Amino acid sequence: MTDDNQPRTDGGTATALPGDSHDDDHLPPRWSLKRWLVTTNHKDVGLLYLATAMFFLVFGGVLALLIRAQMWSPRAPGTGVLSAMAYNQAVSLHGLIMVFWFISPFATGFANYIVPLQIGAEDLAFPRLNALSYWLYLASGILVFASFFQGASYAGGWTLYAPLNIPAFMPSIGATTTVFGIVVFCASVTVGGVNFITTIHRMRAPGLTMRSLPLFTWSWLLTVWMMLLAFAALLAAVMILLSDRMLGTTYFAATTAGGSVLWTHLFWFFGHPEVYIVFFPALGAMAEIFQTFSGNRIVGRKWFIVSMVLVALQSFIVWMHHMFLTSINLEVKTLFMATTIGISLPFDLMVFALIYTLIKGRIRWDTPMLYAFGALVLFIVGGITGVFLGAVVLDYEFRGTYWVVAHFHYVMVSGVTGLIAGLFYWFPKMTGKTYDEFLGKLSFAVYFTGFNLLYFPLFLAWGTPRRVFAYRPEYVGWHRLASVGAVILGIAFLLIIYNLAKSIVAGDDAAANPWPYSTTAEWAVASPPPIENFPGKPSYASGNLEFLDDGATGAAAADGGTAATDGGHAALESGHGDDHHVDHASLWPAAIGLFTVVTAIGLSGLQVGSYPEGLEGLFYQGTSVLGVLGLLGSITAMGYENFTAHEGGLGEAWPFEGVENTKLGMWVFLASDVVLFGGFIGAAIFLRIAYGWEAWHPIPHNPIPGLVNTYLLLTSSFTVILALVAAQKRSRKGVVASLTLTFLLGLGFLANKAIEWVVLFSEGTGLDASVRASTYYLTTGLHMGHVIAGLLITAYLIWRAWNGAYTDGNDETLEYFGLYWHFVDIVWLFLFPLFYIV
Amino acid sequence: MARTKLYTGIYVALFVIATLQVGVEQIGLLESSYMLALALITVFSFVKAVVVAGYFQHLVWEPRSVTYVLVLGFVGFLALTVAASYSIL
Repeated sequence: MTDDNQPRTDGGTATALPGDSHDDDHLPPRWSLKRWLVTTNHKDVGLLYLATAMFFLVFGGVLALLIRAQMWSPRAPGTGVLSAMAYNQAVSLHGLIMVFWFISPFATGFANYIVPLQIGAEDLAFPRLNALSYWLYLASGILVFASFFQGASYAGGWTLYAPLNIPAFMPSIGATTTVFGIVVFCASVTVGGVNFITTIHRMRAPGLTMRSLPLFTWSWLLTVWMMLLAFAALLAAVMILLSDRMLGTTYFAATTAGGSVLWTHLFWFFGHPEVYIVFFPALGAMAEIFQTFSGNRIVGRKWFIVSMVLVALQSFIVWMHHMFLTSINLEVKTLFMATTIGISLPFDLMVFALIYTLIKGRIRWDTPMLYAFGALVLFIVGGITGVFLGAVVLDYEFRGTYWVVAHFHYVMVSGVTGLIAGLFYWFPKMTGKTYDEFLGKLSFAVYFTGFNLLYFPLFLAWGTPRRVFAYRPEYVGWHRLASVGAVILGIAFLLIIYNLAKSIVAGDDAAANPWPYSTTAEWAVASPPPIENFPGKPSYASGNLEFLDDGATGAAAADGGTAATDGGHAALESGHGDDHHVDHASLWPAAIGLFTVVTAIGLSGLQVGSYPEGLEGLFYQGTSVLGVLGLLGSITAMGYENFTAHEGGLGEAWPFEGVENTKLGMWVFLASDVVLFGGFIGAAIFLRIAYGWEAWHPIPHNPIPGLVNTYLLLTSSFTVILALVAAQKRSRKGVVASLTLTFLLGLGFLANKAIEWVVLFSEGTGLDASVRASTYYLTTGLHMGHVIAGLLITAYLIWRAWNGAYTDGNDETLEYFGLYWHFVDIVWLFLFPLFYIV
Repeated sequence: MARTKLYTGIYVALFVIATLQVGVEQIGLLESSYMLALALITVFSFVKAVVVAGYFQHLVWEPRSVTYVLVLGFVGFLALTVAASYSIL
């Protein structure tokens, strides 16, 4: 228990209370497989994320060991444990799996479990979407796993550079499936990002202002904002790549002017923020741990937060330092060298804040602290060696060498190390068990030795070309040392897993708060916490964390916490789950995940516009149809399912007071959709500039059909507004008529577009006719996809309205749909002139 | 609803602006003065987009922070497109 009872600004003082008595009342028991298939509770979903990410850690780790085995000696192709192609796959998939399927989801696991507890929320804003986010993540991982069994997985490096990524150079179906896996992963991240942004902004307990938000939650909030925008750009990139592979568009063809540079822009616009997306959650965990184990509030807390915000913003203006060896001009290289140096400044401040926090405190070297400190050391080494790569002249020398490999791993694995610190720190909270401290410290010693033995020699062997298994003989010693280090690091992970697994089975019971000086709210509830987290409504209105009677919450929030019964806690005798019903179970997210796998496997068979011959082709086509039908059915069932979630806006909701959860979620989603369309439109503009702006003419000969479609969409936007007006007038006929008109106008848009395409096809202007044609078809095709999705929703709304919905005062669904439909209209307002007029 | 008239007026204005946009092309301004025509067409698109977002999507009646969310995405698009395009000039 803490002995620090001063009100704190990072979530108040943690004082433990016993657990709730009616745990898991709406869910199957934990030992039942069904529970894990249907649960939407944030803690369960967090554990699912953590377990799955650990599996991918082992998967990616085995690939890493294979790489190190191959690198034991310089090899000629065909010698060593791996064939040349197998080595390329191992290198590519090791990178992809560790970056996408291990590190980020590992952090997402902690965020799922811890963030709602820290902010005083009983769950995330959209629990089913949270489960969906997990199942899409698992689906994407299964796709990558399956890709190995479809000829060959992706083998062109984790950056998927063009033109190596197109079928001419990477023809296997498995490579397409890998790209599909990334698409589905992006969808998972977007769904999760929308959910967390809504939750953290709208569902904080009364009194928990943004300034007093715990640092882990702050770091995660910035992470999900970065994710939302960065992954939308990646989604645009991989969707275009899928189109090149499946439909035959020519964005990244070797003959397309600017095609390969376009890929690097789209990829690194995502890729550099991704470094901070990976590191920020670890930084947040480290900050929490440094505070707890030094007994000292972080030095310069406000400036620490400001620095994180600055890094999050700056992360989007440094991406071209990954492109110094491409043909981009020197002026822009110089500019991005400056922005890259600039981003190190807020990081310097954060590193000094962490160090000074330790200097001012009394450090307890428990296992979490050892790992957190180790993470800081590794990050400093990674950061300093990265400065070399940010300088244009030095980068010319280092790019494409093992210097990058070593630097990159110091940075990324410092993040992993910080998260392992978090794993030991929050293990007692998540499992209710204490881990073996001796084994924990031993694992750190082995881990830190193994990691540095593995990666430091690679700085010394930096002249080794990256991603290649042949190298100069004088580097053999360093590479063998690295391979030995890899085995030791692998043993460390086994020790960690053994320690935690053993402790879950036979560890001592953990107290609610096993860490002196911890200050955040997760330590104020039982270990593990009950299903709805708190024994009352949490409130920070008085400056300390209190649990109030449900009925008193509003008053407490308004009057500074007068409902507190004993000066500290207003724990309820009967709990708080009896007087309101919320759901915790839905099968449909898992079903959507399953059918996503089926659909993607089926569609992966489509290569440059056609399926393979014979039975193989039939298999892929049949699987596609089955998957799409299953997806449509599952999504409809999920939409129709009655599911009650917690409301937001009962406490702190800055800066979105008065904006309901679903509306905010829709706006946040639309912001990511802006970037998605932005990626497509930006790609078209970029390729046009590379081609010669005025030499590039619109594909449709006549703008009038496009103008007609503009009229149709504008009118459909107007009819959606009329539907909302009719709903407010309680006119069922009016709602049904307006929505039906919207549907018909949308159909008219599609029909007009179909006629235009048929005419163009008949003239021989297919998707692969030219890069002009590719950009026209794909960008307007993406828009058509949005129209089709909108029409499916409209049909559903008409059916609901026909049965009396929306005219009973609950017309929000119509308004939220309208936000989407008007957005589709707005996008067309830009596509029309770009592809029909200028 | 008092706003029905406002929505109708906006709808008519959008219709007219869309027509004007094509009118710029039809009168041959793209051939005679490409940059001016391009600027006009772009401005028309932005005006339409702002009006749809402001009134049909009710942004003018929402807290300003909601607008900033959308602007954030748009700034991301601009940063990517402008910087990438400049990099190959």
